[in-house]
Amino acid sequence: MSPLLRRIFALYVILAVAVFAFPGGLVSWLDDRNRTGWLDAPLGLTRAIDAASAAVGVKPVGQRLRKAFARAIGEDEG
Amino acid sequence: MLFPTIEFGLFFAFALALVWSLNAHNLLKKWVLLGLSLFFYAAWDWRFLLLLLASGAISYLVGLYVEGDRPYRKAVLGLGVALDLAILGYFKYLDFFIAQALTLAHQFGFDPPLAFVNVTLPVAISFLTFHAISYAIDVYRGRLKASRSPLDIVLYISFFPHLVAGPIVRAHEFLPQLASARRAEDFGFGENLALILGGLLKKMVIANYLAVRFVDPVFTDPSQFSRFDLVMAVYAYAIQIYADFSAYTDIAIGAAALLGYRFPQNFNQPYRALGIGDFWRRWHMTLSAWLRDYLYIPLGGSRHGSLMTTRNLLLTMLLGGLWHGANWTYLIWGALHGGALVVDHAYRRSAFYRDVGAKPWVLVLDWAATFHFVCFCWLFFRAPSLDAAMQYLQGIVTDNGAASTLPAIVWPLLAVGALTQFVPPDSRFRLGEWLDARGLPAQVGFGAATLYTIVVMAPTASAPFIYFQF
Repeated sequence: MSPLLRRIFALYVILAVAVFAFPGGLVSWLDDRNRTGWLDAPLGLTRAIDAASAAVGVKPVGQRLRKAFARAIGEDEG
Repeated sequence: MLFPTIEFGLFFAFALALVWSLNAHNLLKKWVLLGLSLFFYAAWDWRFLLLLLASGAISYLVGLYVEGDRPYRKAVLGLGVALDLAILGYFKYLDFFIAQALTLAHQFGFDPPLAFVNVTLPVAISFLTFHAISYAIDVYRGRLKASRSPLDIVLYISFFPHLVAGPIVRAHEFLPQLASARRAEDFGFGENLALILGGLLKKMVIANYLAVRFVDPVFTDPSQFSRFDLVMAVYAYAIQIYADFSAYTDIAIGAAALLGYRFPQNFNQPYRALGIGDFWRRWHMTLSAWLRDYLYIPLGGSRHGSLMTTRNLLLTMLLGGLWHGANWTYLIWGALHGGALVVDHAYRRSAFYRDVGAKPWVLVLDWAATFHFVCFCWLFFRAPSLDAAMQYLQGIVTDNGAASTLPAIVWPLLAVGALTQFVPPDSRFRLGEWLDARGLPAQVGFGAATLYTIVVMAPTASAPFIYFQF
């Protein structure tokens, strides 16, 4: 792999990890923009990622950490 | 489209691959970069695309004419700059000046038929104007050859990483970079990844928490807060605006570098400054350089005695203040800084400074006076109006009789914000080299872990970037 492809790949993996760890944000973002159904396909894919992340326990860890941090600093996320 | 958003993440991921895939076809790549930049701008309001294109057209035509030794080229330059300023003035200042004229007229019993224009302020108009003026003057001064490509000029003005809130990249720094294909190897990946992630951390954690939890509520209604809270909110704002604005330019510099374009540094630990002159060499460095090169020096700089130097410093900083917005608070902020620069200028040339200026106790006093003066000025910068600033100052004097409600989170945020002023300047390069030497696993591991940490810590509510409004 060329140095250029390697850095593009690295950036994509970093973003993919963030999406897998916190898929809720992307799901809501796509959902908000899908009034006419034109984003059905990416939304379906993101929901599948969301389900996979929840199934393997990655999403709940992120949620727990966010809540724990919010509690620690006195911010109630509800 | 804001930097720390899903929109921009997707946009940039797409742009990065697309732009580099066209690197061997420079002309096509520039068209694509222009298209991406216009799309980025149109995400706010597509109607103002015309403004961008008009500004580019003016710059292009003026540049072609003022190059070389044509007759009336100074007049044409003046006309071009006046047109740029007229656009800025119409959108940004016209209502302000109408309001002042009406107030003055009413005081003398007149009722002139003046009406507010009530136009929407286009995003980035101040930055856009400075870029356009920079190009025309650089060509006039012979520092840069006039570009024969209107594409290059419009791309220079609208390039999306710097478009909205800088840094102000001068034409002679950027246009030569458009001449040929870029080499990714000239830009360290780890270093720029660290810059972008550091920017996200500063904005999403430090600036956002300080704004949402403390600074915004205090400045919204200062009468409800104690003297201690009012004073602390000014210091908190000093950290917030640094974390916010330096974050924006860090992300801009890092994003541009990942695309293969170099931007100048914009901040250099400004709260360590010894003197106001030093502060302006560290804070918004590209604005300071712009004001120096295109305003202060043409006015005469420090070449015509102390009286003219004083006038030039005051005028430059007053206009620098007004550039931030049509509000008396910005004018006062600029005037205070201008006055301080005059004092600083005189102090650095005094016998006292020559004799004891380098002694440790003088340096400590120098730092303390500079830092607290800068914080005091931020009060005017942040206050929504002059009345609000006065009410805030009155609250500091009278205490408002309220108990302190300073959230505990503010202390560690202030500490981390202060720490950013002491991180060795080359640490980003060292970290970048370390990551690049270890390759993909280290880069991905660092990037993913840092981004994960930022998302864990970021508040649900977010404050907009402060410099977007300018």
